[in-house]
Amino acid sequence: MKKELPKIDGYNFPLVYKHLSNFIKYEVLKAGVNSVVLGLSGGIDSAVSCYLATNALGKDNVTALIMPYESSSAASMDDALAVVNTLGISHYIIDITKQINEYFTKEGNAENEALRIRKGNKMARERMSILYDYSYKLNSLVLGTSNKSELLLGYGTLYGDMASALNPIGDIYKTQIYQLAEHLDIPKNIITKPPSADLWAGQSDEKELGFSYETADSIMYLLIDKMYKPEVAVSLGYDGELVNKIYAKIKKSQYKRRMPLIAKVSERTINIDFRYLRDWA
Amino acid sequence: MKKNNSMKICLAQTNPKVGDLKKNIENHVEIISGAKTQGAELAIFPELSLTGYFLKDSVYDIGINIRTEENAVLKPIYKISEDLNISVIAGFVEKDADFNFYNSSICISKGSLLSVHRKVYLPTYGMFEELRYFKPGNGFGVFDMDGVKVSVLTCEDAWHLSSSYIAVNKGAHIIIINSASPARGITAGLNKFNSMNMWEELLSVIAFYYKSYVIYVNRVGFEDGIGFSGGSCIFNPLGEMEKKLEYLEEGTVLSDINLDLLNNERFKTPLIRDENLNLTLKELENIVNSGNSETIK
Repeated sequence: MKKELPKIDGYNFPLVYKHLSNFIKYEVLKAGVNSVVLGLSGGIDSAVSCYLATNALGKDNVTALIMPYESSSAASMDDALAVVNTLGISHYIIDITKQINEYFTKEGNAENEALRIRKGNKMARERMSILYDYSYKLNSLVLGTSNKSELLLGYGTLYGDMASALNPIGDIYKTQIYQLAEHLDIPKNIITKPPSADLWAGQSDEKELGFSYETADSIMYLLIDKMYKPEVAVSLGYDGELVNKIYAKIKKSQYKRRMPLIAKVSERTINIDFRYLRDWA
Repeated sequence: MKKNNSMKICLAQTNPKVGDLKKNIENHVEIISGAKTQGAELAIFPELSLTGYFLKDSVYDIGINIRTEENAVLKPIYKISEDLNISVIAGFVEKDADFNFYNSSICISKGSLLSVHRKVYLPTYGMFEELRYFKPGNGFGVFDMDGVKVSVLTCEDAWHLSSSYIAVNKGAHIIIINSASPARGITAGLNKFNSMNMWEELLSVIAFYYKSYVIYVNRVGFEDGIGFSGGSCIFNPLGEMEKKLEYLEEGTVLSDINLDLLNNERFKTPLIRDENLNLTLKELENIVNSGNSETIK
């Protein structure tokens, strides 16, 4: 039995690539449009989504929004522009500093952890709000850029960066995103820099989470894909404390991966016993 | 037995539009017509090819009782089958007189209903929920098509080796497996999804050990993020793949089955002849009667 997170390599890449491109193409066309809009951060996840969408729909049908805040690193902007220029897609740069700062003026200057998180969430939701506005403006679907690792760990903002109409990379772990990026020929700098949400200067995913994606992904592969109980993962040699920490994070963030709860009153309730595909339309 | 001991078959790897019977019928008619032009005597479509797969509550809207006037909706398929003197196997949601629904495959030959297979093994685990909507069929039939004995298994049916065992011992020369199999699982060093790999190994085993032609027709396309893998193919009684369609892409391919080759293989390796049905029956009775399955006392 295979117990290691499978690698995206030269053998399976062509099919994975075709599969993800088909997903974008078919699901977008079914919605009655032929284009997508996505937020491009300069990070690897949105770069991968962007490459996949361009392959699926053609460069004229992908629009990238680059939405920096005053603390966003200049390198992020450069990396995002490198993607846009390499692919030849259209883009807009929309600075969100003004509206974010305006909203938080009453909060004063006292920086604290809670405020930092609130600001981060607010920025993520502001970007979502702009993406959905452009979705209407450009008659395009919003393409998601959250990977499986962050979706499982709940390392994202509900109705912020987690919001999209369709997400080609939501079943691909961060470790595999790097492998995919190598095969997609994404600019090297985007692949080699440490992962960061870039919500404040010097932010680092792995520092914040307290573990590396590589370790977390191997554990999550056992817990989720293989459906092994945490004690089984531990018996296979993983650190018990870390396994339990990751399992707890997955459970605690389940609400972020579900639609809002609806109180059942009638005999047929949306998403409980009123059951159709989204493709039903 | 057929005059030339062979049959030309078209494998139609389609991307059905979920819930849109009319559009899917149009697509079938077009493909059948194209297949005939290339000399096909039988065109095979995937599981639920006329309806789409993850139907959920729309099973209720799309079911057809083929023994009533509801059958009229399938008229274009009957008509082209009659006009072009061709046989067709297609998947649809069947409704019976008691309002049960089945995941069924219909075989229409030269304008007449030849056979219906109601899927027996309805996967209801993981991403699948067929038993929530469908009633299981109650057997595996073998029918004669121009002298060739045919059995139809639908997707999960084939994962139970007892199904092909029954079919072949009932006299099937060719086992047709129509499916809607989602692409899933990757492995380093493997140039296909794990699910495709499992299928190809299974098909080869059935073909070789049951000395039969095995024809696998799978669909492509996406339904709510789940993509079907395609890779429809045909295995000869030596367990060798003779033709295969691309993974993940719509398409058709024609292939000949040759009963002389089947004859040759069954003579050289007479596994079916030597099968001890009485022994199997006795053992099965023992298993069933001894309560070898867990019981609560």
